Amino acid sequence: MRFAASLLAGLLWLANCAWAQDQAFTNRATDLKDKAAAEARTVASLPENTAVKILNRAGAWTQVDANGQAGWVRAFHLRFPTTVDKGGSSGGALAGLTSMFGGSRAQSQPTIATTGVRGLSPEDLKNAAPDNAALAKAQSYRSDKPTAQRFAREGKLADVQVDYQEGARR
Amino acid sequence: MRRLVTAIAFVLAAGPALAIDFGKIIDIGRQAVQQQQGAKEFSEEDEIGLGQAATASFLGASPLHADASLQRYVNRVGRWIALHSDRPDLPWTFSVIDTETINAFALPGGSIIVSSGLLKRLNSEAELAGVLAHEIAHVVKKHQITAIQSGMQADFWKNVGTSVAADRVKIGGGAVGSAVGSVAKPYILDAAGNLIKDGFFLRPLDRGLESEADQLAIVLATRSGYDPYGLVGALQMLAQNKGGGDAASIFSTHPSATDRLADLEKFVPAMEAYAKQPQLLEARFKQNVK
Repeated sequence: MRFAASLLAGLLWLANCAWAQDQAFTNRATDLKDKAAAEARTVASLPENTAVKILNRAGAWTQVDANGQAGWVRAFHLRFPTTVDKGGSSGGALAGLTSMFGGSRAQSQPTIATTGVRGLSPEDLKNAAPDNAALAKAQSYRSDKPTAQRFAREGKLADVQVDYQEGARR
Repeated sequence: MRRLVTAIAFVLAAGPALAIDFGKIIDIGRQAVQQQQGAKEFSEEDEIGLGQAATASFLGASPLHADASLQRYVNRVGRWIALHSDRPDLPWTFSVIDTETINAFALPGGSIIVSSGLLKRLNSEAELAGVLAHEIAHVVKKHQITAIQSGMQADFWKNVGTSVAADRVKIGGGAVGSAVGSVAKPYILDAAGNLIKDGFFLRPLDRGLESEADQLAIVLATRSGYDPYGLVGALQMLAQNKGGGDAASIFSTHPSATDRLADLEKFVPAMEAYAKQPQLLEARFKQNVK
């Protein structure tokens, strides 16, 4: 019963979950699978440049809706074309932040502008006076080792033994 | 045994005085070594001082985000990943700046800056882990320190080793010697100021270094229990959000996200075995990054 309840909660949460990037195209001809695995059944063959809607992600696989048919494709087989960003989709407290440079400058920027226009510019940085009080505050948020380890346990994050791979090694 | 305890008690009691002496000895020793070998290297202390001083300038240009729980959350994810690197005990400091710009910076000595605009466009803790691991990789590999050292003028190196421990100035919080803040020598503060004015920290690193940082990031995130594909998701977001008009964006400090994805596709399949039980932690992520 508890399992059913948590399953239902999970499904409800998924239904509300909007991925910040929801539109993509296949970047090569690829298979749409019924599960997130290479050995899963192929439900459709998608030609290159098929428009898809992102539904979910799980490791190497991305769940998509392709022409009304749901299935899984390899994450690397998708491309995400540049779009005009209206400020992300999360909509929470971080959304709609105004520029720290005060009203007039922030308001002079079009709201549909590409990201990066407001905020930190090279000129802003070059002209900035060091803010020692802000640095002290930032330092006060540092996490010590036991806190980080407890945080990992809470998230069920376990240490995995992985060697440096070819290429990441010096 | 008692003698050992007494000795330790003595050292602890005499700690502050001894620390200065040791500092002097180390400085003088390094000066001697550098004069002998013509070596041009930053000590770890100088690397940390440089990064913390540069962070103060970044925070002067773009304020620290006011959400304390968000700051702690990002620091916990970041420190957990850093613990799996070759430099686990640097004073890792992750600062979320309050700006719509999508960006992340690695500064020497373990200071990482990420924008709230970047955070809110990520989908999960695994994606955040991928981004932080990439910046951690730059610090671990000393990518920027290497570039700084090669660009430093001779008059900078003349100053190295000339100041002594007593000349150190405090930057950030806490007292000199406390774990909270950091200290830097005057010539390091000058160097940080010059690098900031020069725009050094906004300049691109070459594609080879970015590729190395991406690959190391995948390993570090995987070691920390995250889905190796978190960085892939974050890069797909960057590809989609490529902005224009702002040279300070991540798009000028990095090769294009599409190029990086192409490089990673050759590398990540080796990590696919670890992607069987993805730790995306979307719920915890969304609880903290509202």
